[in-house]
Amino acid sequence: MEIKGNQRKYSRENRTQTFDFLGKGEPGGKAAGLVKIQEILDKQLDQTEDNEIAVSIPRMTVILTDIFDQFMKQNDLYPIALSSSDDAFIAHAFQKASLPPAIVGDLRNLIAIADRPLAVRSSSLLEDSSAEPFAGVYATKMLPNNQQGIENRFHKLTEAIKFIYSSLFFSDSRDYFDTIGRKVEEEKMAVIIQDVVGNRYGDNFYPFISGVGRTYNYYPMQNSRREDGIINLALGLGKTIVDGGTAWIYSPKSPQSPPPVNSNKDMLDNSQREFWSIKMGEIKEFNPISEIEFMQKHSIDQAEEDGIISLLCSTYQYQNDRFISGIPERGARLLDFSPILKYNKIPLNATLKRLLQLCREEYHSDVEIEFALEKSINVTSGKPDYHLGFLQVRTMLALTENKNRICADHPQSEILAESSSVLGNGTREDIFDIVFVKPDTFSAVNSRTIASEIAQINRELTRDKRPYLLIGFGRWGSSDPWLGIPVTWSMISGAKAIIEATLPQMKPDLSQGSHFFHNLIAFGIFYLSIQEEIKKSIDWNWLNTQKIITETEHVSHIRCSHNIKVIVDCIENKGVILK
Amino acid sequence: MDTKAFNPFRMAQEQFDKVADILNLDQGSRELLRNPMREYHFSIPVRMDDGTTKVFKGFRVQHNDARGPAKGGIRFHPHETIDTVKALSTWMTWKCSVVDIPLGGSKGGVICDPHNLSAREQELICRGWVRQIAYNVGPLRDVPAPDVMTNGQHMLWMLDEYETIHGKKFPGFITGKPVGMGGSLGRTEATGYGVVFTLREALRELNINTAETTASVQGFGNVAQYAIELYTQMGGKVICVSCWDQNEQKSFSFKKETGVDLDELRSITDRFGGIDQAKAKEFGYEILDGEAWLSQEVDILIPAAMENQIRKDNVDSISKKVKVIAEGANGPTTPEADEVIHKNGIFVIPDFLANAGGVTCSYFEQVQCNMNYYWEKDEVLSKLDIKMTSAFLDVSRLARTKDLYMRDAAYIIAINRVAQACKDRGWV
Repeated sequence: MEIKGNQRKYSRENRTQTFDFLGKGEPGGKAAGLVKIQEILDKQLDQTEDNEIAVSIPRMTVILTDIFDQFMKQNDLYPIALSSSDDAFIAHAFQKASLPPAIVGDLRNLIAIADRPLAVRSSSLLEDSSAEPFAGVYATKMLPNNQQGIENRFHKLTEAIKFIYSSLFFSDSRDYFDTIGRKVEEEKMAVIIQDVVGNRYGDNFYPFISGVGRTYNYYPMQNSRREDGIINLALGLGKTIVDGGTAWIYSPKSPQSPPPVNSNKDMLDNSQREFWSIKMGEIKEFNPISEIEFMQKHSIDQAEEDGIISLLCSTYQYQNDRFISGIPERGARLLDFSPILKYNKIPLNATLKRLLQLCREEYHSDVEIEFALEKSINVTSGKPDYHLGFLQVRTMLALTENKNRICADHPQSEILAESSSVLGNGTREDIFDIVFVKPDTFSAVNSRTIASEIAQINRELTRDKRPYLLIGFGRWGSSDPWLGIPVTWSMISGAKAIIEATLPQMKPDLSQGSHFFHNLIAFGIFYLSIQEEIKKSIDWNWLNTQKIITETEHVSHIRCSHNIKVIVDCIENKGVILK
Repeated sequence: MDTKAFNPFRMAQEQFDKVADILNLDQGSRELLRNPMREYHFSIPVRMDDGTTKVFKGFRVQHNDARGPAKGGIRFHPHETIDTVKALSTWMTWKCSVVDIPLGGSKGGVICDPHNLSAREQELICRGWVRQIAYNVGPLRDVPAPDVMTNGQHMLWMLDEYETIHGKKFPGFITGKPVGMGGSLGRTEATGYGVVFTLREALRELNINTAETTASVQGFGNVAQYAIELYTQMGGKVICVSCWDQNEQKSFSFKKETGVDLDELRSITDRFGGIDQAKAKEFGYEILDGEAWLSQEVDILIPAAMENQIRKDNVDSISKKVKVIAEGANGPTTPEADEVIHKNGIFVIPDFLANAGGVTCSYFEQVQCNMNYYWEKDEVLSKLDIKMTSAFLDVSRLARTKDLYMRDAAYIIAINRVAQACKDRGWV
């Protein structure tokens, strides 16, 4: 998509447009998606049902890709960017560079006008394309934009833009390019500067609800189909969901159905307990090369203090072992959005269903959307109004189902592992190497160490071009070390089959982290989730008799004398790995 | 070319008189503002490398300092005259005023040709110039800066001499110093970028997409090069540049229909902005007469060399296609030529507005020197853009609402501010 003419050019005198552009290149995948959605929303505006929430794209300015080219050229940054230096070194070099003179005046003007927190987001050419799974590789930075004086706010904005640019050359991104066999030099970066959807509560700014909706559900729950889609809701900034943290998951076809859990205690244990906000108060640490410089994590108690939780949760009644909607009494809060989903206090589900349908029709494909909800008071009625900010849309890679049934019955003695919840379809017979987290010594306390141990083994196996099976516990790719092993994609890029298992001390809902899943499917990696008793469903004894190649405190890398066979059938939703 | 008849100071006074009539200025204000407040002439003896002594003629003219300390460059030029310096100091007053920075106007010069002087001889001229005027200039009186054929090194020699005489550190005495020695990031680019910031606003006002325009530029010195750089980054295409050839002592134009490549030209340019003709030919440039830049079929003309370049005798060669003239140089258009341009409906961004980026950034340098805290380049250039844009908008708004020619509108704003400052101080 190329932006032509003056029509959407940034104007200092008239900033009434929902979106405008700086530069003359391309807007990148994310921004192009939002522009397209704006057109759809404009067309559909008259048809909005009464029982829906107002939807719009938060105001944004896009710095087009030619500015990135100028920035790289005028500061001669490619030698450093491509030098394989560590991330901090690259980031600092970018921080010292200057932005092209063609845009600095406009940025200064923008920051003088902007009166709310800003999200500075990447929008690269390859990002968010369904063919190239670049989602989540590059950085996003939230700015409170409330510092004293334009100088300070302008400075923070320029720091954020340079940080986003530099993230293209960070090790995660470089590894990513290696994995897909492309060169990082091919990529160009546009940057979106967008108003953050949310409200200020004391020293925090966050949306009432943030979420991700998909028209296709990789893991259909009871009584739902893949085509019904799935929605994840969380309190606070969307980082909770996109990083694979705990959120409320439901099917838009049946918003009242709770997820399948063993007990109410399980439900509480596996619900959102923390949320992210933008720090609006005093910043004690200066760190322009940190994505979360201005972000903060809170317990949900903070939201209760902020007085916004009554529509978002149920309260556990200990004496009756049940949940009652809202906060009519003291008790443990479950963020299940029940007043909204069960009692339709806000017509969120209807709005989301309609948006998902619109996007699917427009894209002729399954889609994933990100959104956030903010609250305001209607001046006329004095009642609260809700506004849904549409933040992103991208096409999903749906599973290509194969009519051949490939899961036949196999003798138990031949089975290394079995799963009744899988992603992918087909057979893989080229794997000799298995990397697994040792179940006996596993503890979530060590999950960061485990991630780095796996990354080291992955580097060696990738270098030797040896595909491998990866077995671990909890949610792969979660940014929360208590929910799973916090690997980034590049740390496990050589794995061709992955088992995500639960242990008694770690059994969250399995991965639905949007970026991570997008990548799994794009790269055709077999994914087997095992929620049964781990001792029974994986043959650990057999694993322990294989030749050890590397052994660290928490991780083993073994090599089998002959290949293992991974068979996955997505229609039956079953998978098996044969010794 | 009738250069002998051209008197830049007379031209500056005619421009002033015209605006004074429009503003209906009182006689006292007119008398005060149409002449410099102070004018210094002095001799600078220099022991040359060959052992002889040569005496150079130096000037400093302080036109008006009602709005703040005077500010103006120092030119080293063999054809320097006091009338040129007087005119330039007058234009500096208007320039500082039109961009609304709290400074007055001055200018200085030495009659010399740096091409024929060693570095040591140039240093002695710089130090000699300061010795003659050290008690009449200074950070709170009159702040010099680089100009034609002077640069950061000259400024440092002058600063060193000034500080030696006064026995203290005065980083704010002079601007245009090298970065790291009290200079400001962005100063080198400021004038050329400033020209393009105003050009961008003019094109926006005329509803012309920069990316669909072509330009021809006179000069290939600092101002021209950075103007070409930014204009090209914004999508425009420069098809012709002209420059002075030191060996042949005349200027030539270099044309490439597909657009000049700035990096390519820079690689074959000497330190005074002269482009190597032979190499340019190898790169596919057509070598034309020095005045050919003016007659190109382009949308934009950027005279960014010397004064008195668009005259009665050559103004008719300007193509009908030209829509904007952005005057990067000081006084490039004579009043007679200006009348023709005005009649032909070409949008002019007058010199003292278009090229005010340099002095604006010098002002930023002074501010930084006073704080002894130096800004990042993004900070400098963004402030510069805002200042230049806002000055342009003030002028164009007045021009539109009062149906004035841009140059007249700019003069009205600038002269009115200075006249008001003189009144407020009780001088008139």
